[in-house]
Amino acid sequence: MADDDTLHTVYELVQLMSSLNETRRAILLALSHVYPRSVSGVQLSRLIGYSGKSRSLYRGVLTHMKEDNMILIDELTPRLHAIRINSEHPLLLVLVELCRKYGEDTSKIYAKALEE
Amino acid sequence: MDCLLKQAQGLYNSRQRATIATLTIIFTVVFYSFYSTGIHGFGATPPEWFPAGWIEIFEVVASLNTVAFFLAFSLIVFAYGFWSWAFFPSPAVSYTEAAFRGLFGQNVRIKQNIGKRFRVFLESGSHIDVRCRIKEASSGDWFVYRFTSCPLTGNNLYSIALRHGMSSKNGRFTTWIGHDELHHRALLMAKAIASINPAS
Repeated sequence: MADDDTLHTVYELVQLMSSLNETRRAILLALSHVYPRSVSGVQLSRLIGYSGKSRSLYRGVLTHMKEDNMILIDELTPRLHAIRINSEHPLLLVLVELCRKYGEDTSKIYAKALEE
Repeated sequence: MDCLLKQAQGLYNSRQRATIATLTIIFTVVFYSFYSTGIHGFGATPPEWFPAGWIEIFEVVASLNTVAFFLAFSLIVFAYGFWSWAFFPSPAVSYTEAAFRGLFGQNVRIKQNIGKRFRVFLESGSHIDVRCRIKEASSGDWFVYRFTSCPLTGNNLYSIALRHGMSSKNGRFTTWIGHDELHHRALLMAKAIASINPAS
């Protein structure tokens, strides 16, 4: 954790996360905690406490985040999409690692929310 | 939402209503004036098997009046399309410019173009193109911005773009931005552009 490259990446990750708005931040945090699972649009909007329709989330923010290579969306059927974090992204890779290493309890909360 | 943007939203809604109302009145006037002056047919004769009552309708429909009316109608549609492309409420302009002036200094050169577009000139000689959508039709989100950088050269553009939460397309950094991220992500864009220059 202490070597220079990792610290640099963490700095960039913090900068990226703080530049994003609430919705995008919540999406990235939720997806990185449930990684490697993928979630559907409805599940995701419930996980992040989104009050609008999941369809508008999908057509707006999620499409934009996909274009910025932050998340991946697999179209299972025209109405069902599997959304997961892009674990090959140089910064989000670190976020996922951090979540897996230190975020066990948080992941449990998210996993429980998904089961219901 | 920022209070300037709220004002802009209200202004947009009321202006949109006014525009649609005006165009509806124009539509009515056009409709009346094109069909009240007498029908000018262009010699098309209805097929013989037509029932008698329909022949008059056919004469009205297949006439120069209808052709002219459709031309006028498409002009009205075009006028609305042009209005919604070009109109950008001034509070939103102030909001957008204030964000860039706060970030790059009061003297930064910002050029506003028709069609909700801005070009922000950075000190390094590069620039960022900014485009705004007042209301995104697909998602219903208000004030969504699109950033596109000037053309850049360098072999690690893609990885630099990723590290700043953007993507790179045809040698330009591009990204979509919500109105509440404008300030911070413009900073990231400027940082990304600055971090290329030494490498190239």
